[in-house]
Amino acid sequence: MSAPSPIVRDLIDAIGEEAVVWQPEDLLVYEYDATIDRGNPDAIALPANTADVAALLKIANKYGVPVTPRGAGTGLSGGALAARGGVVIGMNRMRRILDLDPANRTALVQPGVVNLDLGAEANRHGLAYAPDPSSQRACTIGGNVAENAGGPHTLAWGTTTNHVLALELVTPDGKVQWIGDPRGGVGRDQPGYDLVGCVVGSEGTVGIVTQVLVRLVPMPTAVRTMLAIYDSVRQASSAVSAVVASGVVPAALEMIDKMTIAAVEPVLGTGFPLDAEAVLLVEVEGPPSQVESEGRAVESILRRFEPREVRSATDPEEREALWAGRKGAIGALGQIMPNYYLLDGVVPRTKLPDVLDTVYDVAERYGLPVANMFHAGDGNLHPCLLFDEREPGATERVLDAGGEIMRACVDAGGAITGEHGVGLEKRDYLPWIFTEDDIESMQALRGAFGPTENFNPCKIFPAGHGCGEAASGHAQQTIARFGDKAYV
Amino acid sequence: MQDLHRTVVDERYGIDGKAPAEAFAAESPEQVSELLRTATAEGRAVSPIGGRTMLGLGMPPERYDVALDLGGMADLVDYEPEDFTVTAQAGMPLARLQQALAQHGQFVPLDAPEFERATLGGIVAVGRGGLRRAELGSPRDWLIGLRVARADGTQIRGGGRVVKNVSGYDLPKLYCGSLGTLGAIVEVSFKLRPLPSADRVVALAADSFEAALAAAAAVSRSVDGLNGIVAVSAEAAAFASQRGADGLASAALVLRASGLEASVDETVARAVSASGLAAAPIDAASAVETWQAIADTELSTAEGDCRLRLGVRPASLAEAGTALATSLPRARPLLAAADSGLLLLDLPEGDAADTASEIVDLRDAVAHLGAHVTVETASPALKAEIDIWGDPGPGIRLMRNVKEAFDPNRTLNPGRYVGGI
Repeated sequence: MSAPSPIVRDLIDAIGEEAVVWQPEDLLVYEYDATIDRGNPDAIALPANTADVAALLKIANKYGVPVTPRGAGTGLSGGALAARGGVVIGMNRMRRILDLDPANRTALVQPGVVNLDLGAEANRHGLAYAPDPSSQRACTIGGNVAENAGGPHTLAWGTTTNHVLALELVTPDGKVQWIGDPRGGVGRDQPGYDLVGCVVGSEGTVGIVTQVLVRLVPMPTAVRTMLAIYDSVRQASSAVSAVVASGVVPAALEMIDKMTIAAVEPVLGTGFPLDAEAVLLVEVEGPPSQVESEGRAVESILRRFEPREVRSATDPEEREALWAGRKGAIGALGQIMPNYYLLDGVVPRTKLPDVLDTVYDVAERYGLPVANMFHAGDGNLHPCLLFDEREPGATERVLDAGGEIMRACVDAGGAITGEHGVGLEKRDYLPWIFTEDDIESMQALRGAFGPTENFNPCKIFPAGHGCGEAASGHAQQTIARFGDKAYV
Repeated sequence: MQDLHRTVVDERYGIDGKAPAEAFAAESPEQVSELLRTATAEGRAVSPIGGRTMLGLGMPPERYDVALDLGGMADLVDYEPEDFTVTAQAGMPLARLQQALAQHGQFVPLDAPEFERATLGGIVAVGRGGLRRAELGSPRDWLIGLRVARADGTQIRGGGRVVKNVSGYDLPKLYCGSLGTLGAIVEVSFKLRPLPSADRVVALAADSFEAALAAAAAVSRSVDGLNGIVAVSAEAAAFASQRGADGLASAALVLRASGLEASVDETVARAVSASGLAAAPIDAASAVETWQAIADTELSTAEGDCRLRLGVRPASLAEAGTALATSLPRARPLLAAADSGLLLLDLPEGDAADTASEIVDLRDAVAHLGAHVTVETASPALKAEIDIWGDPGPGIRLMRNVKEAFDPNRTLNPGRYVGGI
């Protein structure tokens, strides 16, 4: 046993011994999130309430050490990593749903509430929480707010930012305030700047959110899921375009490709033919009469593009079976290779087929298997580069290929992240889409919330020394090849 | 500023009785930058101006040297219908954009009063949702990118042209509802929706505004799938009828539903039955025109009246209505959106100090419901007696920091927004 440092002693005095993790072997679990990078925190503090959070920030400021907020650690851009060490503030103990107001369709929750738990509680009142990131069994509302999380159903409902009405924020200086109105409703009637909209998606760089007022939506009374299997990605893409152009706004419009089929079929028994090139999933929801007519319209469109097969279900269990191949895709990739690097590009929807061609080209050039799964309706693609990190040079190759794919998205008029965030991983790519003035304005906004030096350092913005880890180090090489500017 | 088209200073540019020393009509984003750069350097105050539909919203400007008219920048910049996104210059009126989109069966889900004049930039700067805001949200929910000239003239972009994007901070949100105090918006990008194949607006006559409001609340509680549930007073109905609304002869409950025909009809039928109103429902010949005429009521204030806007959680709307009738019987409620908790009312302005204290009393009477009351239009005399915005909440500390970071010299609309920003 080593002895606690002075800052650890202060943290313990503030929030209790059981709420502070500092022994080196206990810290290991906090080195990772769901990315390739890692960071080494010096201590983990687990606050129980807002006052604890404020006290922790004041202690960290007193010692001048970096602070990094953390939710469930499911993030895909290194956002929860302690890039320069210091104190990680883990929000998992603040996991209560404080109020659910069915009449006004809002819920007041602590940040550590798991996304799916909020959804389940809302369902009991005939309501739903719309954002449904794939990690919803584990990820928390605080993390969702930080990343502006999306999910398959954002096509119809929008992302987290469209569902957060107000929040309590502890700014980096340790001050606590509500922004937005804790007693507000869907009309957002409190006058003033939309600071809620600025905090959502700021990746935990302007403060720590300690309460969130979210909007709930009516639970659909009927849902129909349709699955179509195609012999080419182009055919499937054309079907997507036709569905979108038809005037129907599906709740979800998802695609997986051949490599993903190869991964999920043996594990999940989805019944997908292994020589098919694409599987398309479309879901419509709403009142039964609408689902009936929209479902019929969508199915006839899907059939126009010569699918091998179309399956359809309205029963919850059968629908879940249709979704299994999409929702279980990431997990099943372990069948093929031990590691994967999940990308998150977004392009104008019409550019999707061309960018996919580039993805396959790049992967082939680097000799990497690639599995594609994506939110086809909103142009958000998730290529998964598969590799084995034990193989020398493999990680570097994957990061280089990832950089090229991101560049292809930017060149197609898209952006470097649709829903996973910039984080630690992609911060050096930010100048590909924004000018120095744009980035300087973002930093000015950040500065309005408080001192920035030690609060969640090394995230979003290209910068500085002392932050370098695997992915960001490699970003520099990719940038050296492409130049640091694109369509800015 | 010699490249800028200097235009005539006339009453069009008056704000709360103040006229600017100069007015300029910008024709390009570069001109906007140049003007702002010079004005900031010279310490002159600028008010960016769009379609002038909401120019009366806000406190009187502390200083007003330059009117910057952005209405001349009204081009469509980029529209790829299959991407369901559009980019246009900020001075384009909403109606013109909707027309261009409708040719491809699309629309941007925004309602704005006087949409033939109201510009995209102005709608974003005001930042409010319309009468369908419970279902459609507000500009913040559809704006995906923008280009702005900051007070120092620097051109910046935020967001992008893709429908889903978390690359960097969400600067577009910062400018939604910033009321021209953080920069002049020169270009905006929106995500779009397909036009519904069926779109119905149905009016049910009611004996009074109160009866219409009660019916609206009943429908809002029990029927999903509508995108508008509005109670109108006889006065608002007369105004809207004059502007081409169908079927509004008296106080009424007005419902709107859009989507596929079968489900729209079913939803309307359920709503009509839930309303408890006996009158036969009258279908508007043109749903869009009738709705727009009702939305125009937001700007219908008569000479001598001030307009108040009360926003509250929807389940408390009826209670707010009762509190209003008790605490301020002189007020005439005009219009309410039951699904999003919005109530518009007019109050004859008497002695400014007395009227101000009546409004403060109203704010106090509904404070326990969490309601906000803003004064939308008022005489300069009344504005001298009351903060038209009311309480912006504790976030004001950070809002002041933001203003300081983006416009430290207070060039843009000084003093007009919350807390004297």
